[in-house]
Amino acid sequence: MLTSLLKRGAIAAVAVVGLSTAAFAQLELKIMAPASPGGGWDGTARSMQQALMASGIAKSAQVNNVTGAGGTIGLSQLINAKGDGSQLMVNGFVMVGAILLNKSPVNLTQVTPIARLTAEAEVIVVPTDSPLKTAKDLADRLKADPAKVTWAGGSAGGTDHILAAMFAQAVGADAKKINYIPFSGGGEALAAMLGGRVTAGISGYGEFEGQIKAGKLRVLAVSSPKRLANAPDAPTLKEQGIDLELLNWRSVVAPPGLSADQEKVLQEAVAKLVKTKEWTDILKARGWDDAYLGGAEFAAFLKAEIERVGKVMHDVGLVK
Amino acid sequence: METTVALLNGFSVALEPSKLLFCLVGVFLGTAVGVLPGIGPALTVALLLPVTFKLDPAGSIIMFAGIYYGGMYGGSTTAILLNAPGESASLATALEGSKMAKAGRGGPALATSAIGSFVAGTIATLGLAFLAPWLVEIAVKFGPWDYFALMIVAFVTVSATFGDSPLRGLTSLFLGITLGLIGIDKLTGQARLTFGVPDLLNGVEVTTLAVGLFAVGEALYVASKRFRDPEEIIPIRGSLWMTRQDWKRSWAPWLRGTAFGFPIGALPAGGAEVPTFLSYSTEKRLCKYPDEFGKGAIEGVAGPEAANNASAAGTLVPLLTLGLPTSATAAIMLAGFQQYGLNPGPLLFAEKPDLVWGLIASLFIANVMLVIINLPLIGIWVRLLAIPQPWLYAGILVFATMGTVAVNASPVELGMLFVFGYLGYLMRRYDYPVAPMVVGLILGPMAEAQLRRALQISLGDPMILLENPISATLLGLAFIALVAPFAMKGLNKFKAAED
Amino acid sequence: MTNEKLTQGADRPALIVGVLLLIVAAFVGYDASQQTIVSNYGIGPTAMPYVVCTGLVALGLAHFFVAFRGGLPKPDAADSGALLWIVAGLVALIACIALGGGFVIAITIVFACTARGFGRRALLVDALIGFVLGLVIFLVFAKLLTLLLPAGPLERLFI
Repeated sequence: MLTSLLKRGAIAAVAVVGLSTAAFAQLELKIMAPASPGGGWDGTARSMQQALMASGIAKSAQVNNVTGAGGTIGLSQLINAKGDGSQLMVNGFVMVGAILLNKSPVNLTQVTPIARLTAEAEVIVVPTDSPLKTAKDLADRLKADPAKVTWAGGSAGGTDHILAAMFAQAVGADAKKINYIPFSGGGEALAAMLGGRVTAGISGYGEFEGQIKAGKLRVLAVSSPKRLANAPDAPTLKEQGIDLELLNWRSVVAPPGLSADQEKVLQEAVAKLVKTKEWTDILKARGWDDAYLGGAEFAAFLKAEIERVGKVMHDVGLVK
Repeated sequence: METTVALLNGFSVALEPSKLLFCLVGVFLGTAVGVLPGIGPALTVALLLPVTFKLDPAGSIIMFAGIYYGGMYGGSTTAILLNAPGESASLATALEGSKMAKAGRGGPALATSAIGSFVAGTIATLGLAFLAPWLVEIAVKFGPWDYFALMIVAFVTVSATFGDSPLRGLTSLFLGITLGLIGIDKLTGQARLTFGVPDLLNGVEVTTLAVGLFAVGEALYVASKRFRDPEEIIPIRGSLWMTRQDWKRSWAPWLRGTAFGFPIGALPAGGAEVPTFLSYSTEKRLCKYPDEFGKGAIEGVAGPEAANNASAAGTLVPLLTLGLPTSATAAIMLAGFQQYGLNPGPLLFAEKPDLVWGLIASLFIANVMLVIINLPLIGIWVRLLAIPQPWLYAGILVFATMGTVAVNASPVELGMLFVFGYLGYLMRRYDYPVAPMVVGLILGPMAEAQLRRALQISLGDPMILLENPISATLLGLAFIALVAPFAMKGLNKFKAAED
Repeated sequence: MTNEKLTQGADRPALIVGVLLLIVAAFVGYDASQQTIVSNYGIGPTAMPYVVCTGLVALGLAHFFVAFRGGLPKPDAADSGALLWIVAGLVALIACIALGGGFVIAITIVFACTARGFGRRALLVDALIGFVLGLVIFLVFAKLLTLLLPAGPLERLFI
């Protein structure tokens, strides 16, 4: 019984390996970037295209852009492409919030998760001349009067906004009352910080890196589970007694209704992709951190993120 | 002095023959792709970025500089020839430029825009080299209230595009502001005027409205009066090049346009549109031939085009000194620089002086190349207008559609393009100016967002607008600009400037 | 459009514009009244819509006033045949893209119909020109710029 099962498993494994190498040779992929050309998701899609083709994992890879509504228009097209084993879509943390904010009829529980690719830690910073020295100082200020603490960050319902709300919740302040001011793009938020217009700023570490190194901004905390390799002095939120972790991740998903084989081919293609030199070179050049998480683990991660973001957005009144 | 030496060093890198060739190729590619409608400078740079990866860092940066200036310039060609502004910053250029082109003065219009871009680009790049650290200190001091006041100044200038009826001008402007409300509210995430259509959540694209109202609307209008009042397009009347008179009328607008474009472009939220509007209305007020405005006044091309290009160099000030990408184009440039191992930011000039000064030197060279490549092309561009009218307009509609399809191929977006086209046709029929509508769409959301940010910071106290010296001064200027014409001659004297 | 004598003494186009402006104002006002997300500090997302709504009402009323004082400029009669061709071409283009017919065919239709609207009588020749133009544009975008324009059965033969 046991041996026959093992045997069958072995045969299946051989079959799958045979199938997948054969499939790779002629793998033709379509990668959708659910945003306009030039943005982050588009960059990820085009980098995947470059690495997939250069390394020979795929015979061809076409990128197409579907613009609109925080990526949810692209998402609904992906869901319509049910059962298409050659279609992939790039997405990320921001889409989780956008789906709720836009009251999108489709959502990420409907797709086939393939893998998380990259992740970036968020930082909470203040201008160097600010009296706030630690995340705890900021928390105290926030608890005393949330109106007086102005936050600068990216779009409403985006990663930065959600981190601000989660921070308020984690320190026991009223998340509904935070005075969060969305700016378009990291540049404008950064200018508001440097000009001393706001109390604190939130953004991906990369956008503030130059200013942090030049000593114009002080990091109160990073949102990653561990300290960052390129900023070992910046403490995490956890270290400062604030139970909060948040990563701005990007991932790749496939349409629903794939057969187990189809899903496996895509899983393996991406698993191979992240190990290629072409891909690691791109990550290095772009300053993206590898955060590969494949298969079932990614599916579980995605599910947890959807729940967590949904709760916060409800709590702060972005979603009724 | 130190700066001068560093700059000369930069030139010694950028002037090698192979580097000059890279620069030439970059300018050529940038212009060629930038000319395509719907492909604005940001997309041009994004699409051509991979081309540069194959070169060594110095070579790729130099080619990149060429692509940037080429792409910035390319948009004005379609604005002038086809009345299809490919990006919002070319809007003001299209107003007078397309009128000149139809009257056989396309050559001088393209020439003044090429030479104006060169003059503005050169002065602004000098500004970048010598004034950047100082300018950026001022730029970050601008708060939301100051931006709001700047937008109000720009709003006041819209009256220059109103034509002979303030009522019809204001109607057009308010419809534009209404369109600007559509989509997700930037500050809260509230969906406004979307009526459950997901395609509307991102709002109305400025280029869709501009190309619809300008190019499609005009095609319909010309077709509708084909028999009664056939339009006559003359490819060349008089000189293909700028005459003495043209030069005399262009140089001051070039300089004034630069004066608007460079500092406002250097502001983190200044953008390229506001300076082009300011330049257009200034030229209209200062012009010795105000009757020509609306029929093709060369000042109306020279000024805004210079402002557009100067703001492109201005954008590099916060980008290089602070690592602040303040426009979509700048964000892609930043990604490009990082790939070449240049990390824009406060330490850049100290850490990588060779590369950064090489870049600035290549910007100068790219500017020269731009003129060298584009002046001879003018003769060819202008001949496009000699295509028989049915094919010319069919081609214009093809290009208008292609621009929209390339960026967002949704039936809703195309539907909007054609609804705006039909609206543009009706507006022309009943003599409503179309430009204020586009201006309203651009400025409305910017002004609203800045005002709300200001009031969020002041916790609802409107006095913040008057307490700050910059915003108070700008609001005062706006007030004077608004009241002065009434006091002096009345709004009616402003002749039609659009259409 | 030109029989403006129907409403006695009043300019019909101006009245229509006035009514349309009031309708748009009503939409803007209604939409603002239905919004649920509020801003904690300063003014919320409804402030600007109400300002715009007020402005549109004022402009609408001003048009009624104008309707009795000379009205809008009187346009010439339009060549509705020409308009119809062009509009038909544009509608066909949207349909073609929406139904997956692809970019090249859509462009062919627009080019041929517009040229017809401008008075050319060689529909087939124009369709051929449009086809070649569309194909060239498609290939330039797909091969040189790696931007995929909408592809139908025809385009798939080339990618």
